[in-house]
Amino acid sequence: MRFKKSESNVLDVDMTPMIDIVFQLIAFFMVITNFENAKADERVKLPVDQLAKPSKATNTKQIIINLGYVRDKAGKKLSGPLVFWQTGDNIKVDQLQTYMKLEAKYYNDTDVDMAEVLVVIRADAEFPTGLVQEVMKVAKTAGVDGSGGFEKFSMRIQQKTP
Amino acid sequence: MKFRSNTEAQKIEPQMAPMIDVVFQLLIFFMLTLNIVEPEGDFSINMPINAPSNATQEKVFTDLKIRLESTEDGRLKNVIFGQRPLGNNIGKQDNVFARLNAEIRKHIGSPTNPFRKDMRVIIDADYNLDYTYTVKTISACTGKMKDGKLIRYIEKIEFAPQRKPAP
Repeated sequence: MRFKKSESNVLDVDMTPMIDIVFQLIAFFMVITNFENAKADERVKLPVDQLAKPSKATNTKQIIINLGYVRDKAGKKLSGPLVFWQTGDNIKVDQLQTYMKLEAKYYNDTDVDMAEVLVVIRADAEFPTGLVQEVMKVAKTAGVDGSGGFEKFSMRIQQKTP
Repeated sequence: MKFRSNTEAQKIEPQMAPMIDVVFQLLIFFMLTLNIVEPEGDFSINMPINAPSNATQEKVFTDLKIRLESTEDGRLKNVIFGQRPLGNNIGKQDNVFARLNAEIRKHIGSPTNPFRKDMRVIIDADYNLDYTYTVKTISACTGKMKDGKLIRYIEKIEFAPQRKPAP
């Protein structure tokens, strides 16, 4: 009796579609990770609310002010209330004026209307309200020669999916 | 001269296995580094920047005052809507912010009220109060979620000038 050669029975798995899918997934995850807000400071634990909607503001010019505390891993506060400035400086709220004046001067020198600049306030859930108001006051009066200041504010809240 | 005829055996098969290994490694790496963050947003409310102007006769009816009192360590002590204290219960049962929401709803009447857009809430919070309670108050004033849809209540929210911190 004659047997058929057995090696021709081995099923050849087509790898191409699988690799395609895997590459798609990789591209997806790479894109997602890069979209995370670069200026958002992860030390700020935003308050959470169901009613928060993605910001409708279309301003391309934004100043992001992160307000929060230095905390240990358990979430215990290790510092007083601080401003985490974009450059990496941790400053007190009463020092903020100098920084905001610089921003205002920059916009003034580059002929940008300060009313077009959106001030994004990312305040920690435990930050004192009075200090948040203080920050807004500083921004409102940051104009060169004390005239005018930033006018548009967005208070950031983390969305809660119900 | 004799050539070898079985040239098809020379075709090089690309080695797929190590490539798939590496690709899976990459995939797992990106999956792990991706931390899932809930998106950020705001209330898209109108926050006029000027200090509350002197209320004219007409404005008196559309201005609602909310006073937020805090304990020394920043927790909520009392919410006073106009003259009415609403308490400080923020638990699941009989939540003070739910009650505030209902009061605002009563003030507006119906969501189609033409004066709704002119109504203004002035929040007068203690200096020490945790920001999260201020946000909850704003949330209670802006509207309510019903069947996954947002019903807008108040669109203008202002802050009263801040109170000086207790010495």
